Amino acid sequence: MKSFEYVITDPVGIHARPAGILVKEIKKYASTVTVAKGEKSVNALKLMALMGMGIKQGDTVKVTVDGADEDTAFAAIQDFFKNNF
Amino acid sequence: MNDDVSQFDLFMEGEKNMALDYRKCAEEIAANIGGGSNVISAAHCATRLRLVIADNGKVNKAALENVDGVKGMFESNGQLQLIIGTGTVNKVYDEFLSVTGASAASKADVKAAAASRMPLWKKILKTPGDVFVPILPAIVASGLMMGLVEALAKAIPSFAESGWFGFLDLVANTAFALLPILVAVSAARVFGGNIFLGGVIGMMMVHPGLMNAWTVSPTNQPAVWNLGIFKISQVGYQGHVIPVILAVLLMSTVEKWLHKKVPEMIDLFVTPLCTVLITAFATFVVIGPIFSILENWVLKGAEWLVTSTGGIGALIMGALYPWTVVMGLHHMYNVIEAGMLSGALGLNIWMPIASAANFAQFGACLAVAIKCRNAKLKSVALPSSLSASLGITEPAIFGVNFRFMKPFIAGVIGGAVGALFGSLTGLGATTYGVTGIPGLLAINNVPIYCIELLIAAGVAFVITSVIWKEEQPAVAPAAAAPAAAAPAIEAPTVSVIRCANGTVLQPVKGNVIPYDKIPDDTFASGVLGVGVGVEPTDETVVAPFDGEISSVAESKHAVGVSANDMELLIHVGVDTVNMNGDGFTCLVKEGDKVKAGQPLIRFSRAKIKAAGYSDTVAVLLTNSDDLEGVEIGAK
Repeated sequence: MKSFEYVITDPVGIHARPAGILVKEIKKYASTVTVAKGEKSVNALKLMALMGMGIKQGDTVKVTVDGADEDTAFAAIQDFFKNNF
Repeated sequence: MNDDVSQFDLFMEGEKNMALDYRKCAEEIAANIGGGSNVISAAHCATRLRLVIADNGKVNKAALENVDGVKGMFESNGQLQLIIGTGTVNKVYDEFLSVTGASAASKADVKAAAASRMPLWKKILKTPGDVFVPILPAIVASGLMMGLVEALAKAIPSFAESGWFGFLDLVANTAFALLPILVAVSAARVFGGNIFLGGVIGMMMVHPGLMNAWTVSPTNQPAVWNLGIFKISQVGYQGHVIPVILAVLLMSTVEKWLHKKVPEMIDLFVTPLCTVLITAFATFVVIGPIFSILENWVLKGAEWLVTSTGGIGALIMGALYPWTVVMGLHHMYNVIEAGMLSGALGLNIWMPIASAANFAQFGACLAVAIKCRNAKLKSVALPSSLSASLGITEPAIFGVNFRFMKPFIAGVIGGAVGALFGSLTGLGATTYGVTGIPGLLAINNVPIYCIELLIAAGVAFVITSVIWKEEQPAVAPAAAAPAAAAPAIEAPTVSVIRCANGTVLQPVKGNVIPYDKIPDDTFASGVLGVGVGVEPTDETVVAPFDGEISSVAESKHAVGVSANDMELLIHVGVDTVNMNGDGFTCLVKEGDKVKAGQPLIRFSRAKIKAAGYSDTVAVLLTNSDDLEGVEIGAK
């Protein structure tokens, strides 16, 4: 299990469209990805749940990757956050 | 039943309020009606903001009247109407929607919401008034002109033969000679049919190829088309009102039904074609004959009453006469009058009865004109009463008396009393076709005739003054409000996405397009799941199935709904996240259980447009990859 923290820089936060792209990205891997903000955490595959977090610019999220291919997935998803959020 | 006179407002309130702060005006209105939550629906016409209010107790009328920009207010038919003015009201309305979050409703919706609070008999009585009010300018003008031109022709015989008379008579009687066309167009609007198809039905009923109903007499009967199973009498409906309204009601019903059933591709030609054909047959085969039978009965009955029963018959006929005007049956009375003049008596004793009945409607209408406080009603009632005094009663009856009913009844009583007096004193006319003041030129005893008119109008005037009060519809809604505040939820009927797990109904009205045609690369790519786009014509998103709200976007423009493993995203507009919620109202929160058809988001198309974005609503099944048998498209 590997995790990283990330501060959202995108002005509109994790909204429908970027969240959808994130889901597609995660689907490439076998690992489970969870996104946590404060007390709340969700499985990042659940688009609705992810959107419902209401993650905005400036929020700190903790992203956890857990599974067989977590090493490759971790790197890819960390890049994805930097590039998209 | 204080109905709208919006057509009058158009020219009564042409001036614009240049310096008005629309936003401030809307905010002040909202503050004085108990806020947006107290608004069931909002619409505007040319000059007025029309609101249906849930709890009238929260409305501060005095403060509303003093809001800068509100020129007047009144309540009618369960609506609160604020007079704001041409060119201004639409701007205040837009602001009002954004201030209150109320959804835009058409005038018809507001009227329907108000009408649903009304008992059936009242709705039926209201219909002729609703149809007539918009066409009043046309018939008030024509009625007055016709009365004057005919009076002049009686007074100055040489005028009657001049070109002046010919031309002025043509101008004056156009609206009346072709009245069914005006009635049909207006009725189509009231019943929600296409007004041009309505116009066609009206024109058909006075088609020059048919015999003019005014010229029918025992010796001049219309020809008949034999269609095998039934026969169609080749006679028009000049002067008719009720058959036209019925025909257009039928037309609108057929048209709306066909629009739903006929596939869109062929709708444009199949629906109008079938609508006109079905209506034409029904009108000429069913509605027409019923009315011609009715006319014959009325004609025979009226003649018998007046000639055989003396004073009592005159009394009854005086009371019945205005009802026959309402039914549009009065146009054939000329036949009776002509018969009397050529008969043994040589005197037209019908005319004093008609005169008393008409003049009583004048008296009742005048009483309304004098007693009412509403300036608009006054501006209708006064010219209508003048026209009635000249013998043209349609504007007074349909525009005023019959709408409020009590003045009409007062007119019926006045007419009966006047007619009885006329019969007992042996009044009669030496010609026919005139009543009221112009009747002075045709009567055998001028002083007695004057007394008859005074009795008829006087009785009607006094009764109207006593029993008629300007209605305050605020009395009833106290009981009706709770029911109206929780309108029944109606599920949409069209599905847009279907899969093994369930069906997604169309969440917003409008044109359905496949998701790959949504004007946004991300939505169109399917990365968020497959589904459809809706180019909205409405501004309310409703739940597409019974389910649970799984997420609500902070900026209120998107909502997730889930049920039975279906995860649906409804996203209003493209890039509208940047509007930060301005123009959007979300009516639910995460975790809410919703029923199909329940409103979820209200949005302002105008604001989305103003912000420069597409308002296409994306309806996407975000987990469509995991579902089986997913099928998209409106069905």
